[in-house]
Amino acid sequence: MKHMTEAQLSELEKELDAIRDEVIADLGERDARYIRRMVRLHRMLEAGGRVMMPFGFIPPVFVAATATLGVAKILENMEIGHNVMHGQYDWMNDPALHSQTYEWDTVCTGDSWRRTHNYEHHTYTNIIGKDRDYGYAVLRLNNDEPWKPRHSLQFINYLLLSVFFQWGVGLHELETEKLQRREISLRDKLPFLKEFARKGGRQAFKDYVFFPLVTFPVAPIVLAGNIGANLIRNLWSSTVIFCGHFTQDAETFSEQECEGESKGHWYLRQLTGSSNFTGGRWLHILSGHLSYQVEHHVFPDLPAHRYPEISGKVQAVCQKHGIHYNTGSFAKQYGTVVKRVLRYSLPERLTGTVTTA
Amino acid sequence: MLARQTQSRTLHWLGRQLFNRDDPAAFFDPLLERINPMWVQAYTPARVEQVIEETADTRTLVLRPSRRWSGFKAGQHVNICVDVGGVRRNRTFSLSSSPILWREQGRVTLTIKRLPGGRVTNWIHDELQAGMVIGVGEAFGNFLVPEPAQPVLFIAGGSGITPVLSQLETMAATDYRAPVTLLYFVRTEADVIAREKLQALAARYSALTVTIITTHEGASPRYLCAADFDRIPGIRARQVYLCGPKGLMDLARDLLHQRDIDDTDIHSTFFSVPQADLGKEALGGQVRFAESGIDVGSEGDANLLDIAEAAGLTPQHGCRMGICHQCSCRKTSGTVVNRLTGQASGPGEETIQICISVPRGPVAIDL
Ligand code: FES
Repeated sequence: MKHMTEAQLSELEKELDAIRDEVIADLGERDARYIRRMVRLHRMLEAGGRVMMPFGFIPPVFVAATATLGVAKILENMEIGHNVMHGQYDWMNDPALHSQTYEWDTVCTGDSWRRTHNYEHHTYTNIIGKDRDYGYAVLRLNNDEPWKPRHSLQFINYLLLSVFFQWGVGLHELETEKLQRREISLRDKLPFLKEFARKGGRQAFKDYVFFPLVTFPVAPIVLAGNIGANLIRNLWSSTVIFCGHFTQDAETFSEQECEGESKGHWYLRQLTGSSNFTGGRWLHILSGHLSYQVEHHVFPDLPAHRYPEISGKVQAVCQKHGIHYNTGSFAKQYGTVVKRVLRYSLPERLTGTVTTA
Repeated sequence: MLARQTQSRTLHWLGRQLFNRDDPAAFFDPLLERINPMWVQAYTPARVEQVIEETADTRTLVLRPSRRWSGFKAGQHVNICVDVGGVRRNRTFSLSSSPILWREQGRVTLTIKRLPGGRVTNWIHDELQAGMVIGVGEAFGNFLVPEPAQPVLFIAGGSGITPVLSQLETMAATDYRAPVTLLYFVRTEADVIAREKLQALAARYSALTVTIITTHEGASPRYLCAADFDRIPGIRARQVYLCGPKGLMDLARDLLHQRDIDDTDIHSTFFSVPQADLGKEALGGQVRFAESGIDVGSEGDANLLDIAEAAGLTPQHGCRMGICHQCSCRKTSGTVVNRLTGQASGPGEETIQICISVPRGPVAIDL
């Protein structure tokens, strides 16, 4: 991590706080209108996808229905669910958009997400050993973890994780790595597993039982379409999330260097541990504005549609302090992610000295 | 009936599975709202049919709530919710019309005074127009006229007249057989709310005596005094109803006590929720908001909602006075004192209304 003195860090803190305060002071009608519009669009897409699906025996309709439902799920998970559960719209005091009560359309329960994501991941971003989102305890993405032969097949793991992403995220809190090390026992995880089974069961029931059943004669088509929609959402969301922290230049940190860190240091870590990608307006919306991962990590509770507006100011702050602002096209960023997954599937002696991490 | 309930329970269960929410009926609200705001399910919508200017700073809203609203009794109030600058705000107002109007025409009225600096009342005065739709909650409150009839004395001040208007109209319509007296205190003649209505009521309902007293028109202020009670026949036998500013209510209570009128015969409405004596000793303490990982100290009788907001959190809330339960949160440890009852909670895990809970010693909240 770039070295900055305490004085520089506190200056950084002040400058970023000022950007945040300005947005907070300006929150109002415009933000409410934006998120309500997104919710309305989601309802339309969801209803449209569900209604079209039984007519999926006509191939183009099948494609349209699956895509519509897939996009509905993406919009709900990314731009609505993720952001609402970050508390970005709590100030609206609308029970339907409140972080503490929102429940999203995916296997992971809202409560589990609030613990593992809002708290763990956002507090300990990219600290190896503390941020369990780093590699999801499945992938070796830097050389702090010694290479083992099983890592050589990790690209397959990566593909499986992406295909079943909602289940992976849903089970994240199980902490299988700690179970394996016998630090915790399955019994400790019983309440979590119960919650998981309820929510997972509910999600599976809806897409794989209920909707196929009520459209009985075309059940296989509806089932296939729903599986397709979930797949689209899984692949897209895992890709967006991998681009957020596992790109070439996204830094990782050790526990020691973050011990007792100041707020300014925390900001610096968020800035250097995250990465953005560029694109058109809808690419940002469909990624829940996690294309502005840097801004999101610095200000997780500001309404996400504000990130494009403040990105220029954040970049200016970075430039002033000589901090690398990690961004690039979607293709470029994703390419470096794939490279990282591949590179660390091999031991260092084969890939040469690694300088990125 | 039973069949219908089971059916709707099954439907509700199904809805929860499909839409991941406890109020599945509201899933399509964002679309319905666009087509017809009266179809919204998350709250009971009410259309503003008419806005009547009562005085310079008071207006009456004629509302038509959706038919699923369950009605009210004279003297009760409702929470209304409105979106002001993107923020949903809940406030409580007394219903000023008689329940008969609701039963016969499906209409109710709220009479609302503009409060200096009041975000919601100012919005109602500046932005709300006929044709718009707002949300109303179910009616509540036990500021109800006695059944069977007993002699009654109303003491109202300023906009405290609103629940009394509803009661007087209901009493007149049902020909309530007992003497009814209203002492209505206003600052100046221009501040009298619903003067015509009061005059008309007094004219057609002979049991009613209305006295309007202006407090700030003479050289020195003219407040409620013992002599006002001398003029009321059989005051000892009356049920007394107080509604108005705290000063007036306290004064009235003192004067009534001097006449040996028992507290059980004095009724007052929420304009002055009796603030229990919290026994100032050792209130406040270290508060831990567990989910956000924030620790703050609090002093004195600050409530947890205020403490949380001061710490930068934005918990859900509504009335901020212990009525709506929108602010309910899980307390995981520590003791809090309930502002309304003065009761201390147990030390363990329980659900509390943070707007009326004051920490006593260290407290941990799931927020
Ligand atoms: S905000 Fe209404 S009870 Fe607390």
